[in-house]
Amino acid sequence: MKTALLILLLSASPALANKVFVSNEKGNDVTVIDSATLEVLGSYPVGNRPRGIAISPDGRELYVCASDDDLVRVFDPETMQETHTLPSGPDPELFVLHPSGNPLYIANEDDNLVTVVDTRTHRMLAEIPVGVEPEGMGISPDGKVVINTSETTNMAHFIDAETYQITDNVLVDQRPRFAQFSDDGTRLYVSSEIGGTVSVIDPATRQITKTIGFDIPGVLPEAIQPVGIRVTADGKKIFVALGPANRVAVIDGDSLEVTDYILVGQRVWQMAFTPDQSQLYTTNGNSNDVTVIDVASNKALRSIPVGQQPWGVVVAPN
Amino acid sequence: MRRFFLMALLAGPTAAWAAQGTPDWPCVQPRQDHLSLGQVWTGPPPPPDTAAAADPAIAALADRVVQRRMPLPEAEAAIAAFASGADNAQLAALMQAVFDRIDGQRTNLIAGISRYGNKQARLAAQVQARRDRMAQLQSAATPDFDAMDAEEKALDWDTRIFTDRQQSLTYVCETPVILEQRLFALGRAIASHLNP
Repeated sequence: MKTALLILLLSASPALANKVFVSNEKGNDVTVIDSATLEVLGSYPVGNRPRGIAISPDGRELYVCASDDDLVRVFDPETMQETHTLPSGPDPELFVLHPSGNPLYIANEDDNLVTVVDTRTHRMLAEIPVGVEPEGMGISPDGKVVINTSETTNMAHFIDAETYQITDNVLVDQRPRFAQFSDDGTRLYVSSEIGGTVSVIDPATRQITKTIGFDIPGVLPEAIQPVGIRVTADGKKIFVALGPANRVAVIDGDSLEVTDYILVGQRVWQMAFTPDQSQLYTTNGNSNDVTVIDVASNKALRSIPVGQQPWGVVVAPN
Repeated sequence: MRRFFLMALLAGPTAAWAAQGTPDWPCVQPRQDHLSLGQVWTGPPPPPDTAAAADPAIAALADRVVQRRMPLPEAEAAIAAFASGADNAQLAALMQAVFDRIDGQRTNLIAGISRYGNKQARLAAQVQARRDRMAQLQSAATPDFDAMDAEEKALDWDTRIFTDRQQSLTYVCETPVILEQRLFALGRAIASHLNP
């Protein structure tokens, strides 16, 4: 009862307005949404086939992987004017920003490389050879370990963020797409799209401690394809986007059991929290919308139409 | 990936299959023969083959709203009109009826894509055979120029048809998704009328 009251109080207090940026892979633009009103503020061209999207910790630079332009385009999030580009290597798909805001680690799907780029000098610092079809990128909260997953090699590669050397490889299920650390750094979650699982890895021992499967009544197993993962700051809830199952699974952080499957939109891939973690935005590539999930209640609040084939999403910091 | 595909296409029609799939499934999208109701519906489970499912009004409404030529707002209005006098079991039965129809259409479509792919594979083999014959004709001691002209013309046509069809493949492969979008939108419309 007391918690319910607390939730009510929290949701009743006016939420801070943050801008939500959604990259539309086919529309070649970014849709900007106001997180308080849930209104679309506008959409802006950002180059060809925008996929991965990130924002600097100070909220001043928006990074977009323009996959078919073979570079990262950088925008002023206020005006959505392009300020400069960053070298990315060919076909950049997804990237992760160091917690300090520099450098940027980019997965090059076609070239089996991870490219490291200095966001201040705009120079390439290193190219790290990894497995075949690198995609998922994660970084430990202390910024010391970068994770890359390779879709064809089926591995999570542990990369030393300073020496750029691979220090370990963990074999996971088929077609790993995404890697996400818990905020305390004690767990690494890796999703396998074809394997249909999420591997929970202990970053200290590099051992898989649990493999989480998904079973949705009335949904054929082949439709369950886990991609994006987000973990609340307290580690209590893990959200997993299940692709064409059109659901987001909610996993209890203590038991690592699935507690809920939220129906969102079609082919849900990527997700982002608002800074207060009251809302989670999901990109639904086939229904061309984003779903706003209320994190406290695990309910889909609203579907907001965006551009063609939404892929990535990021929310501006406070 | 795209660059590789282009290279494969230039290297010869047959090689293109290697990059994009098999004749049975020439699309980059993963093949899924059937959809499942849970992908579009979290409402009550449809009544198992009872009066509601056999209700002719539900069948007629489902037949109408699944048609793609009916604009979605009209379909939503028709569903709303039905929902005003319907309970949750009837709405679930409507959902099942809509699902069965669209999933059936989609399965036929996927079989069609397989036939399309197999035709392309046969055409590719034919192009290869014609090229071999051209090479033979050209290397003959006394070349038969009439035969060479005829073979060249046939080769041009076959190549052109193959290329045109190959260019339509992107669209063809996206048609199952168009049906999935319709199903999802109708599911959302029906679910919005469920009584809590």
